[in-house]
Amino acid sequence: MDRSRGYRVFQVINAVILTGVVFVTLYPFVNIIARSFSEERYIVNGEVSVLPRGFNLTTYKIVVSDSMFWTNYANTVLYTVVATAIAMLLTTCYAYVLSKKHLKGRTFLIWVAVFTMIFSGGLIPNYVLVNSLGLTNSIWAIVLPNAISVFNLLVMKAFFEGLPQELEEAAAIDGLNTYGILWRVVLPLSKAVIATMVLFYAVSFWNSWFTAFLYLNEQDLFPVTIYLRNLIAGATGAESAGAAIADVSQAASNIQSVTIMLTVLPILAVYPFVQRYFVSGVMLGAVKG
Amino acid sequence: MRELSRRQAIIGLGAFTLVLAGCGEDEAPKKAAETSANKAGAMANYAAGQQFKATEPVSFDVLYNNHPFYPLKDDWLFWQELTKRTNVTLKPVAVPLSDYEKKRGLLVGSGQAPLIIPKTYHPQEEAFVASGAILPISDYVDLMPNFKDKVAKWQMEPDLDTLRVADGRYYLLPGLHEEVWVDYTLAVRTDILEKLNLEVPTTWEELYTVLKAMKQEYPDLYPMTDRWGVPTPGGNLLKLVAQAYGTKGGWEYQHATWDAAAGKFAYTGAMPQYKQMLEYLNKLVKEKLLDPESFTQQDEQAKQKFNSGKSFVISTNAQTLINDYRPTLSKLVPKAKIAKIPVPMGPIGDYKIGTRLENGVMISKKALENKNFVAMMQFVDWLWYSDAGEEFAKWGVEGTTFSKDASGNYKIADDVDFVGLNPDASKHLQKDFGFSNGVFAYGGTTKLLESTFSEEELEFQKVMNARKAWPLEPPHPFSDEEREQATLWETPLKDYVTQQTLKFILGERDLSEWDAYVKELEGKNMTSYMNLVNGAYERFKKDHG
Repeated sequence: MDRSRGYRVFQVINAVILTGVVFVTLYPFVNIIARSFSEERYIVNGEVSVLPRGFNLTTYKIVVSDSMFWTNYANTVLYTVVATAIAMLLTTCYAYVLSKKHLKGRTFLIWVAVFTMIFSGGLIPNYVLVNSLGLTNSIWAIVLPNAISVFNLLVMKAFFEGLPQELEEAAAIDGLNTYGILWRVVLPLSKAVIATMVLFYAVSFWNSWFTAFLYLNEQDLFPVTIYLRNLIAGATGAESAGAAIADVSQAASNIQSVTIMLTVLPILAVYPFVQRYFVSGVMLGAVKG
Repeated sequence: MRELSRRQAIIGLGAFTLVLAGCGEDEAPKKAAETSANKAGAMANYAAGQQFKATEPVSFDVLYNNHPFYPLKDDWLFWQELTKRTNVTLKPVAVPLSDYEKKRGLLVGSGQAPLIIPKTYHPQEEAFVASGAILPISDYVDLMPNFKDKVAKWQMEPDLDTLRVADGRYYLLPGLHEEVWVDYTLAVRTDILEKLNLEVPTTWEELYTVLKAMKQEYPDLYPMTDRWGVPTPGGNLLKLVAQAYGTKGGWEYQHATWDAAAGKFAYTGAMPQYKQMLEYLNKLVKEKLLDPESFTQQDEQAKQKFNSGKSFVISTNAQTLINDYRPTLSKLVPKAKIAKIPVPMGPIGDYKIGTRLENGVMISKKALENKNFVAMMQFVDWLWYSDAGEEFAKWGVEGTTFSKDASGNYKIADDVDFVGLNPDASKHLQKDFGFSNGVFAYGGTTKLLESTFSEEELEFQKVMNARKAWPLEPPHPFSDEEREQATLWETPLKDYVTQQTLKFILGERDLSEWDAYVKELEGKNMTSYMNLVNGAYERFKKDHG
C-alpha cells in the first residue's frame, strides 16, 4: 500500500520516541538484573548500568540458602492462591447479582460496595475488628479483609450486563436454575473477564505487604514482600544507624537486587499467558459502562 | 430523589459509626496504683548489683524490632540463657525494622501492645502520652534499683529532665550512657596531608587552610564533598559546624537553643552563631573547597567521588569508615590512607556535644493490672540497667561467646565473629546467638561501650573523651494545646530556615541580607513561637524546678 511521505516520516519519529519510552521503562529492571549478577564494589561505585560487572552468582547462593526467604516465599504463594480463589468466588457472585436489573434493592447493594471505596473505619478500628474476630496471626487476616475489590466488582458487573439477556432466558426455559445459568452459561462466556480479574487479584495479593504487616506478628507467617522490604530498609537506614552500635551492619546492595529478581519473576512469567485475555477483558467492561 | 435520600442516609449512618469508633476510653490516668496485688514472682529484696530471678516462672510479651541483618531466631542462646538466669520467658512480637514505628503506633492505639515496648526514640513516646496507654514510668522507678543507682552515680537527673512532659513526669526509660559518646565526624585522606606536609586539622579554621592547600595542589577537584545530605541537607556537616559555633543545625536542628547569657531560649535559625556558621560554609563553597552538590546528592554519589580519589574529606562514623570507604578506596586508589579525625573545634572551644541518653523502653499502662507487674519492672531493671544484664545482652555467656581477662577486658570466643573481630569464625554473635542485639544491648559504662571498638576508634574516643561535655539545656515541655499550636508554627519555620540556609551557603542569597531574613522569620511567627517556648520554660521551672 502506498503511504504518503509525511506518514512515513511520522512512523519513523514515532518508532524512535516509542523506543525511547521502552528503554526508559525497561532500564530500571535491566539495571536490577545487572546488579544482581555484579560484584559489590562495582555497585557501590555506581558503575553497573545495563551489563553486569564482575559477574558472579554468590549472592544468589546466599539468598537461596536463607531458609526464612523460602518460608516467606511459600507463604506468598499460599496467600496468593487462596486469596485469589476466595476473591474470585465472592466477586463473581456479587457482580452477577448486581448485573440483574430486575433485582430489588440493587442500588442499595451497589452503594454498600461503593461506600467502602470512599469511607473506611480507619487503621486502628480495622485492626481492632480483625483482632476481635480472632483472625490475627492467621492466613484469614490476609485473605478475608480484602476479598472484594470494588473496582474489580464494578468491571465484572459491567461485563455481565453486556451479555445478552436472551441467552439466559433460553437457559432458564431449558430448565437451568440461577446457579446453573451462572455456572454453565455465563461463566464459560466470561473467560476474558475472569482471566483479567484473576490477574488483577493475583498481582495485588502477590505484591501486598501492608495487611500482612498489620495483622501478622510472627515472621514465619510473613509473605516475602515483608522480607524484601525489611532487607532494603536494613541496607539504607543510614541515618538511624548512628544510635546503636549493634544495628549498623548492612545488607549488601546486590542482595536487594537478587531478592527483587526472585520475587518478581514468577508473577512476571504469568503475564504473557494472560495477556490476550487481558486487553479484551478490560475493554469489554469499559465500553459497556 | 428517593435514591439520593437513601444515599444520604447511608453516608450519614456511616459517619455516625465513624464518630462512635473515634471515641476511645477516656479514662483519667490513675495515680501510682497499689502495687501489692501485682507482686507475684517478684523478689522481696531486689537491690542494685543483685542477680534478678523471678520466684516463679513468668513470661512477658515484648515488641521486637526485627533487624534484617540478624533476623529473629527462636533457638538463640540469648532466650535460653535469659530464662535460665531470670526465670523469665520473653515472647517477642516480631515487627520488621522497616515499619516498626507504624506498627507500634497501631498496637498502642488499639490497646493490643505488648507490655514491654523497647526501641523508642525520644520524643516518639510523647505521641502516646495523651491516650493514656503508656505508663508514666517516672512514678515507678523505685522498683528499679539499678536504674536509680546509675542515674545517681552518673548524675543523670538533668538528662532525665529533658524527657519530662508538662505534667513533670517522663514516660520513657532511656538507655543510659556513662559519658557523651561522639561517633560522627569527618574522614580525611591522611596520605594527601602527608604529601602536602599538613597537620591533621583540629579546628574548622584549620580545616579551611587544609582544604585550601589541597585545592592549590589539585585545582580541578573539590577537596571536600559530603554525604548524608538527603533528606536533611547537610545532615552531619551542618550539625558539626553548628555545634562548634554553639548553635544547632542539620540532623540536630531544633527551633529553640538555650542562650545561657540571656537566661532564655533564642530562635536557632536567627542566632548570630547561626549566621557565623553560614558565613563559614559559604566561604568554603565560594572558594570551591566544598562541593556544592554536598547538600543535595545521594550518599552513593558522594561515596563514589570520595572512593575514586576525586575528593579528600567526607563525613563518616566508625562503621562507614570501615564498610563504605576503606575497602573500595584501597582498591581504586591503592596508596590512599584515611582516618577519622577528632571533631574539629570552633569558637566555643574543646567541648563534645551529644546526649547521654539512648533510645529506650516504654511500658504499657495495662501492665499495672498484671499480677507480675513488680517482677516485670525488676526484670527490665536487671536486663537493661544492671552491669551484669548489660554485659549479658552485649557479650553473651562467658566461656561460650566471650572471655574476660583479669583486668576485665573482653575477648570474643575464637569461633565467633562480631563487627569483624574474627572474620573467619563460623558463627556470628548477633546472627547465631542473639547477643549485641539492638533491642536489648545499648548504653552502659564507657568500658563496655568501647569493648568492641578497634584500635583507631579507641584513639578517636580518647581524644573526644578528654573534652568537656556541653551543658544540657533546661527543659521546656509544652502542654497539649501548646504543642498543637507549636507544631502549626514549626513546619513553615523549619521549611523556611532550611531553604534559606541552603541559599546562604550556596551563595544564592547574600549574607548581607541577614537582617531581612530575620524579619521574614518574624513574619512566620518566630517571636510568638519563642514566647511559647520561654513561657513553657518559666512555668516548668516554677512548678518542678
